[in-house]
Amino acid sequence: MKPAPFTYHAPAGGDEAVGLLAELGEEAKAIAGGQSLVPMLALRLAAFGHLVDLRRLDELRGIERRGDGTVWIGAGTTQATVQRSDEVRAAVPLLARATPLIGHFQIRSRGTVGGSLAHADSAAEYPAVALTLDAELEALSPRGRRTIPAERFLTGMWSTALAEDELLTGVNFPVWKGRCGFAVEEFARRSGDFAIAGATVALRVDGDGRLDRCAIGLFGLGATAIRARGTEAALIGSDPAEADAEEIVRSATEGLDSVPSDLHGSAPYRTRVGAAMVTRAWRRAVQEALHG
Amino acid sequence: MTRTVGDATYVGTRTLRVEDLRLLTGTGTYVDDVIRPGMLHACFVRSPMARARILGIDVSEASQLDGVHAVFVAQDLNPGVREQWYTLNGPDDPDTPRPPLAEGEVRFVGDPVAMVVADDRYIAEDAAELVVVDYDPLPPVVDYATALDSTESVHADRPGNLVGQLGGRPMADLEPVFENAPHVVSQTVYQQSHGPVPMETRGIVAEWAAAGGEMTIWAATQSPHEVRSFCARLLGIAEHRVRVVMRDTGGGFGQKVLPQREDMCVMLAATKLPAALKWIEDRQEHLLAAGQARHEHGEARMAFDDDGRILAATLDHVQDAGAYPTPSPVQSGVAVGMLFPGPYRIPEGTFSSRFVFSNTSGRVAYRGPWQYESMARETLLDTAARQLCLDPVELRRRNMLSRDELPTANFNGMPYDHISPRETFEQALKMLDYEAFRREQARAREQGRYLGVGTCTYVEPTAGATPFHATEGATIRIEPSGKVNVYVAGGSCGNSLETTVVQLTADALGAAIEDVSTVQGDTAVTPYGAGTGGSRSGPMTAGAIARTAGELRERILAIAAHKLEVPAEEVEFIRGRATSKRSGGAGLTLAEIADIAYYQVHALPPGVPAGLEASGRYHTPHLMIWANATHVCTCEVDVVTGEVTLLRYIVSEDCGPMINPSVVEGQIFGGTVQGIGGALYEHLAYDEDGNPVSTTFMDYLLPTATEVPVIEVGHVETPSPGPGGYKGVGEGGAIGSAPAVVNAVADALAPFGVRISRLPLTPSSIVGLLEEARARQAVTR
Repeated sequence: MKPAPFTYHAPAGGDEAVGLLAELGEEAKAIAGGQSLVPMLALRLAAFGHLVDLRRLDELRGIERRGDGTVWIGAGTTQATVQRSDEVRAAVPLLARATPLIGHFQIRSRGTVGGSLAHADSAAEYPAVALTLDAELEALSPRGRRTIPAERFLTGMWSTALAEDELLTGVNFPVWKGRCGFAVEEFARRSGDFAIAGATVALRVDGDGRLDRCAIGLFGLGATAIRARGTEAALIGSDPAEADAEEIVRSATEGLDSVPSDLHGSAPYRTRVGAAMVTRAWRRAVQEALHG
Repeated sequence: MTRTVGDATYVGTRTLRVEDLRLLTGTGTYVDDVIRPGMLHACFVRSPMARARILGIDVSEASQLDGVHAVFVAQDLNPGVREQWYTLNGPDDPDTPRPPLAEGEVRFVGDPVAMVVADDRYIAEDAAELVVVDYDPLPPVVDYATALDSTESVHADRPGNLVGQLGGRPMADLEPVFENAPHVVSQTVYQQSHGPVPMETRGIVAEWAAAGGEMTIWAATQSPHEVRSFCARLLGIAEHRVRVVMRDTGGGFGQKVLPQREDMCVMLAATKLPAALKWIEDRQEHLLAAGQARHEHGEARMAFDDDGRILAATLDHVQDAGAYPTPSPVQSGVAVGMLFPGPYRIPEGTFSSRFVFSNTSGRVAYRGPWQYESMARETLLDTAARQLCLDPVELRRRNMLSRDELPTANFNGMPYDHISPRETFEQALKMLDYEAFRREQARAREQGRYLGVGTCTYVEPTAGATPFHATEGATIRIEPSGKVNVYVAGGSCGNSLETTVVQLTADALGAAIEDVSTVQGDTAVTPYGAGTGGSRSGPMTAGAIARTAGELRERILAIAAHKLEVPAEEVEFIRGRATSKRSGGAGLTLAEIADIAYYQVHALPPGVPAGLEASGRYHTPHLMIWANATHVCTCEVDVVTGEVTLLRYIVSEDCGPMINPSVVEGQIFGGTVQGIGGALYEHLAYDEDGNPVSTTFMDYLLPTATEVPVIEVGHVETPSPGPGGYKGVGEGGAIGSAPAVVNAVADALAPFGVRISRLPLTPSSIVGLLEEARARQAVTR
C-alpha cells in the first residue's frame, strides 16, 4: 500500500491553489484532510501526478455567524472543530447532530467539511445535511468566486458541480428560526462505518402548530443525497402531530431507482432501512418542534 | 507432578506483563522494524483472476525501472526448492501443492505470479505495475460446496477437487437408531469464510551470507524453529546454518504457525541477492492471500427419546481448502468430527469429513481450527429444544456429562477426563440469572422487543502430543550477579508468554521475580520448540521450566546449606534469599550463591558443579489435556433493521489453576471477540466469478470496542494431570463464542419461526430470515 509517485504542492493562498489546479489540469488533485483520498492513493485505486495540499490556506478555516442569517463554515474546518462548536450547536443543530456520525474521532480530527462535501459520497452525512438545510456552497477558481446551491452542487456519485480548477472554500448554512425540529438517523454496520441508509428531517411549525417549513433528506439510497420534495410539499400546512408517519415514509421512499447494492445490503434491504430511518427521524423532529 | 517446584509466590497472581512497557510505548520490534545494511524490498505481482492459464509474462519494462534489482517468475525461483514439508505433517504425509510462484496456471485472485525486488517498496510497487502477464481465463471453481460435482478442477491432477476424506463408522450403521427414534432433528449450518487478520500482517526478512553458507531470517511467526527447519529443507542447507529471529509478533491466531508461499519466495530469492530482502505484506494482500478459515458446512443430526435424551448423533461435514491450503487440511480438519459429540452423553454416532479445493485463498489454521464442531452441535441442540418444546438449558442438563461419569470417551473414542462441563454451565447461567432473563425476555416481547439468550458448552483438547508438539525445552542461566535468564523457544504473538515464563521460573527457582528475565524467539540461543499453537505454551513451558529449575534449585540449596553449615533440607529459599532457622538471622542472597558458583569454586560442596546453568526438556505423557468452558450471550434484535445488539456476555471456563488470571482472561476476551466477529461481522466473501469483495477493513468488518459488551468471566478449577495442573486456554474463547451468539439471535427470533442456516448474521441476512419465515408461515396458513 504505497502510492504511486506524485509531486507535492503546498500553496500559501486560495488564488495560488486554484492557479496550480488550473495549470496542472486533470493530473492534479486537491488534498485537505485526506481521509478519502489517501486510502485511494495507497491502494492505487487513484493516481495523480500532483497533489495540491490545502493545509496552509487559513482563509478556508473558521466558523462565523453572518449577518444574512447564515453560519459560514470554512471548507478546511475539521469535522472535530464543528463538533466542538457552540455556535454550530446553537444555530445549525442538524449539522451538529450529524457530525459525530462521521467515521471515528481520528477521522474527524483530520477530515474537513469541504472534503466531505467535495468527495460527495452518497452515504456521507454532510452532503445530506447541506441539501436538507438548503446550504449554499462557495467556490473559487481563476475566474473568480461563485455560489452554488447544495441541490445543484451534488451531481452524482463522487461528482460535484466543481470544475477541475475550482476549489470549495466555504459553506453557508441557513439558520432556521422559530419552533423547529431537527433529526438525523442513520444505520451502519458498526459505529463509524458509512451508513447503510440514513435520513435527515428539518421542520418548523407556525403559531397554530402547522408545518410551514419541511425538509426530508435521504442518504445512502441513490447516487447522491436526495430530498423527498413531493412528500415535503404535501406536508406543508398540516399538523405534524396528526401526520401519518407510514404514509410519509411510503411517499418519501417510493420511486427510489438507484439504490446501491453490495456485501452489506441489497437495494431492497437498504430501502427498508432508509424507511425506518425516515420514521425515526420524523418522530424525533416532530417531538422537538412541538415539545422542545 | 502437580505443582512446580518451590512455593508459589508469583504463580496465580495478576503479575503485570513484562512485555507491556515496550509494547504499549510503541517500542516493540516487529519484523518491519528490522533494517539491514543495503536491504532490498519485495513486492508481489498477484493474479487478478480466480483461474487462468498464464500464456506469458513480460518483465522487461519492470526490470528496467530505476532502482529495480530483479524480477523473478516461477522458473527463476521454483526449481530452487529442494524439499518442502511441514514438521507437523512429516515428509510422507500426502500433501497439497505449494509452488512458490504460480506455474502455468493461477488458482485464486491474489495468487503470486512474480516477485519484484527493488531499493524500496515504492519502487517495487511501481515496477510491479509494469509487469505484463498474459492470462487466458478459465472457468473457476468458486463454491467449494458444489466443487465435488464440478467438471473443472482447481488442480488438474486432482479431478473432482477432493483433497481427502476421513470419517468414523459408516453412517448406514446408525440408520436403525434414527428410524426407530421418537424424535430426529437435523439441520445444516453454512459458516462463512473468515480471515484470522492479526494486526501485524505477514512479513519476513531473509539475509544470505554466501561465504559462510548462512541464512538469517527475521520473521513474523509463531514458531521460529519451524521457520528454521522449513528453510533448511527448502534450500537444502544444514539446519544449524539457519538462524531465525522473532522478537515481537503482532498476532498470529494460527495463521503464522507455518511459512507460506511468499515466505518461500523470499527465502529462495535471498540466496540470489547481495543483501537482505524484506517483504512486508500490506493489508490488501493479507485479505487476498494470507488465507481463509472456518469455511465449511455440515448436516448435523441427532436422535432423541421421549425424555429428550440423545440416542445418537451424526455429522456430514464438508470444508473448503481453497487452492493452496497450509498445511493440507485433512489431519487438522478431522478434529471437527472427532469433537462433534462435545460434553454430552451420546451413546453412539459417527461423522464424515470431506476437504475440497476451490479457486479461493488457501485454508490456514485459525484459533480453534475445529470450531465448527461446536457450531454444528450447539445450534442443533437449540433447534432440537424448540422442536421438542423443551427449554434449551433443560435439554442440555439432561444430556451433559457430569464429573462422576469421568473418565469417559466420546463415541469417536476421544478420552475425556479432568473436565467440568456441568460446573461451567451452571456457573455461567447463575452469573446471568437465567430465570430472571427469561422473565425479562417475556416482558420485552409484550412490548414488541426481541431479546434472546444463547449458550455454548464445549470441551477442548489442549497441549496435544503430536510428534512435533510433544516436547518443550528450557535453559536457565543464573548469571554471576544472581540475575536469571530463562531461554525458551517462544513464538509469542501477544500471548504474554514472557510474563508466564518469568512467573513460572521465579517460583520454580525461588528467585525474586525482578531478577528473572527471559530470552525467546531466537533459534541461535533457545532450545528447540514448536512455538505457540494448539493452546500448548502454558502446560508445556511449565513442564520444561519445572524440570530445568528443579535441578538448579537443588544446587542452590546445596551451596547455601554448605555455606550456612546446615542440612540442605533445612534451607528455605524464597524470593532469592536462602535462610535457615538453625543459622539464626544469617542468610545468603542468590547473588552470593552465584558468586560462589562462579568465582569461589573451591567453596562449593563436594559433587556440585561450578556455574549455575542447566537445560532440561519436558516430554508430555498425555495425549492431550482437556479444557472446557461455557459461553452465555444475551442480545436484542431490531426486527426492522436486523441489527443485533449484544447485551451481556459471560464465559465460565476451566483451565485448571491459573498461572496469571489477567493473562487467562485476556486470552478469553480476545478469542471471544473473534467469535463475535465471526457470528455477526466478518466475511471474506467472493463473488460468483471468484473475485474477493472484502479486501479492505471497510468491507471486512472486525468487531470494535463499541460492538462488544463487557465480557464477564467465571472460573472453575479442575487440575489437569499435566505440569502444575495447568491447561491450555489460548483458543477456547474463539470456539465457544460464535455458537453462543448464533443461538442468542435464534432465540430472540424464535417467535417468528426463523431458521438459521447461513452465517454471518448480518442485519440484511436477519431481515431476509424474517421475511423467509413470514413467507413460510403465510403458506402454512
